[in-house]
Amino acid sequence: MIPPRQIKISLITAPEFNLEYLWWLSISFMVLAVLYFIGIFLIRNRITSTNGRTKDKKIEFSPMISEFLFYEDSNSKEEKMNYLNLKIQIRELIKDSFDRRVLTEVLLDLRKDLSGQSQTVLIELYKDLGLHNEAFEKLASRRWQIISSGILELTTMEVMESYGLIIKFINHRQGTIRKQAEIAVVNLKEEGIGFFLDNTKYKISEWQQLKLLDVLRHKTNFEPPLFGLWLTSTNSHVVLFSLRLIKYYRQSDAEKSIITLLKHKKRDIQAEAIDCIKEFFFVSALPTLKMVYSKASIDIKIAILDAIGEIGSKSDVEFIEKLKKKERNFNIKSKVLGTLNKLDPESILPTKNIASSDYFSSEAENNDDVSEVIESIENEITIETPEIISQNIIEIKEDLVEKPNEPIIEEQIVSINSDEHLELAELKINEVERKVDTDVSEEITSVEESVVIDSVSEIELCFLPKVDIDVVEEEEVISINLETVQEDERPLTFDFLPLIISNPSIKEVITSNEDDDFVPLFSLDEDLDIEPIEIENQIDSFQENVIEEIDWTNVLNSNSYQDSEITKEPLISFENETVTFSANFMLEDELDTMVLLENIAEMGDCRELPMLQELLAENTSPLILDRTNELIQKFSYQSPRPNELFSSKNDLVESVFTEVYNHSDKETKLILLQEIKRIGDKKEIQLLESIINTESKTLAISAKSVLKHIKSQIVVTNAEAINTVKNNNPLFDVDFELGLSVASKRMMKSNENGSTIFDQLCSMSNTLYNKING
Amino acid sequence: MGKRVLLADDDQLLASLLNFRLKKGGYEVHHSSNGKEVKEYLKTEMPDIIVSDIMMPYFSGIELIDFVRNELKSNVPIIIISSAGNEQNVLSAFELGANDFITKPVSPTELLVRVAREINKK
Repeated sequence: MIPPRQIKISLITAPEFNLEYLWWLSISFMVLAVLYFIGIFLIRNRITSTNGRTKDKKIEFSPMISEFLFYEDSNSKEEKMNYLNLKIQIRELIKDSFDRRVLTEVLLDLRKDLSGQSQTVLIELYKDLGLHNEAFEKLASRRWQIISSGILELTTMEVMESYGLIIKFINHRQGTIRKQAEIAVVNLKEEGIGFFLDNTKYKISEWQQLKLLDVLRHKTNFEPPLFGLWLTSTNSHVVLFSLRLIKYYRQSDAEKSIITLLKHKKRDIQAEAIDCIKEFFFVSALPTLKMVYSKASIDIKIAILDAIGEIGSKSDVEFIEKLKKKERNFNIKSKVLGTLNKLDPESILPTKNIASSDYFSSEAENNDDVSEVIESIENEITIETPEIISQNIIEIKEDLVEKPNEPIIEEQIVSINSDEHLELAELKINEVERKVDTDVSEEITSVEESVVIDSVSEIELCFLPKVDIDVVEEEEVISINLETVQEDERPLTFDFLPLIISNPSIKEVITSNEDDDFVPLFSLDEDLDIEPIEIENQIDSFQENVIEEIDWTNVLNSNSYQDSEITKEPLISFENETVTFSANFMLEDELDTMVLLENIAEMGDCRELPMLQELLAENTSPLILDRTNELIQKFSYQSPRPNELFSSKNDLVESVFTEVYNHSDKETKLILLQEIKRIGDKKEIQLLESIINTESKTLAISAKSVLKHIKSQIVVTNAEAINTVKNNNPLFDVDFELGLSVASKRMMKSNENGSTIFDQLCSMSNTLYNKING
Repeated sequence: MGKRVLLADDDQLLASLLNFRLKKGGYEVHHSSNGKEVKEYLKTEMPDIIVSDIMMPYFSGIELIDFVRNELKSNVPIIIISSAGNEQNVLSAFELGANDFITKPVSPTELLVRVAREINKK
């Protein structure tokens, strides 16, 4: 091994860097950081002081505004003088731009909170003080925020003079300004809404429409124009908004325009037009509604049906009847049925999951007849099914012969045992029930046929594990499973018994089910007292009394027996040219032991021999015994013999720490000594003695301490050994006990914490690695 | 000496206006800008009428009604000021024992009339 100091790795050469630049760079960043923090501090202080000043100003303005708002002509002379003085004072104050701004803010805030006469006085005060002039100036700004705030201010304070200035912004490219202008125009003058609808070129968002409607709603003495005039607008958003306004203000004078809009390409407008038609009961729209129906989208179709339901009459039933046959969409079909019932009440009655009246009346009468039907159906099915299965087997065989190079096919099961099949059978039986009264014999034939067809068409093919393709060709597993007949609960249900089909080429597998809970497939054995049913050889007997031949109760109750039997079966057996696969279950303990043995085989050595001997003595399972013996042989002969392992000639007697110690520095050596103290044993004595003799004083002292500790531990171990012998041999019975020091006990405890020597070595290795790598 | 009105509102501007109006109407007004102040004041002195905003820091108008009616066991008239569209709070206030309510935007004159009416009822 090459000492680490002798390893030479050529380092990648890096370009030289002038450290002076680094210093300059650091200083620059520091200066920038200081400037940044100073800037933040100044801005923060400025904002705080401005807020403080604004607050103070508001408190100062507040009583003045109150005086103005609640001034009455009936006030006393003194109050009138006070009012005049305040007016002069406030005019002086607003000469300062800051004060003017604060006063505007105050008035705008109060405008929102006050109503009635106070609000009117407030608006007058705003105008009287000339604060609106500053808002006009804002409209001329280049910044969209300022323009927007100017429009808002003028709108809030209801400055009518600003109308002419604001309408310019109706089609402004900046969305916020445009929307603010739209609200202002509608708000300021009654004709504003007309101007807006005439001139706007942009989209009117849903939210904006709501806001505009809110403005209109709150306008006092507002007389809405006829919004039908704007249904011809080229801006589809204007048309849509107009339709909504028509509906809101209930203006039914635009009937033709609205009906025409049913043909509009935009679905929103179509839907809104349909709403209007419904709202105003435009019966003349019915032909157009029917006309546009065919090309309409699902939601529009539903809206049209709804409208027809509202405004239609019985003459429209024919159209709806056609739709009932034509429509496939569930939602539309539901709406069609609903509309039919609206136009012609109770014309459509519930049909889903409704049993016929015969079901309730003829149940008792038909019980006997039904039993006969069941028997005949059962016989027919048991006769027909094997033939069908045989056909399938032949087909499968042919397929396999045709594709000999195919990879392993996992399962081959032909089964009819799903819930769906049971339901189908039930349906068929119900059908039989209903028709028993009329002609039992005819129905039986039809039912037999249909059941047979179902059983054929819905056969499920699964494939069992296959090793040899020739063998698989001969092996087919078939199970047919249906519900048990429950005459007391259901009128007619029956259960197809599990079928096991076997011939020289067919292996039997039976599935059992009880109340629809399917238990896993299991192999049948001769020991289970179940007679195999060889379809091809025993068709005749099977037809006659197959049910009686099989002891199903025994089968269903013998699961546990089977489990234990299965575990004893060989994994693969070859009988009569047939390969049988069986599950080989292992007990949990055995499995654990096998896992342990495999781990020992992978990582263990001769030191595991005692454990293996123990396992050999404890276990009886032949599998475990075989594997244990294998491992004992392996470790006994491929490794040093146990008696050689601990001899002085063997390397193993040397401490495992020796090599690591020799390549470590002083600090590492000290750590290593601590680890030796913790986990070392007598093998470390030689190493420790050599350290005491050869190493420096510090290391020698530490080694002495460790040596002393290890020796004390050896004494303890010997004492334990004596105790063990003493317990086994009465000769060693003494009337005193060997005591352990507290430190020794602690040490023993620490060694008993479940860590193996391997774990501790790993831990020590990690500690050393961390130490070396800082 | 006029009747004492406790005006509880965190909006300084509006409170100042209402204060001014009520004082002008001949009432002695004590203004508190948050629920804590209101609580402290009520522990020491009971006004003839309380005018309170529903939304207040620390202690809402609803809690104030509950405090007055259930803890202080007082029947002092309470007028609630609430924003429009806050019907649920108004209903809660009435359930707890508020006597009247007025919605924002407030007409100071209307408030004055309502205060006078409640005091007269008492």
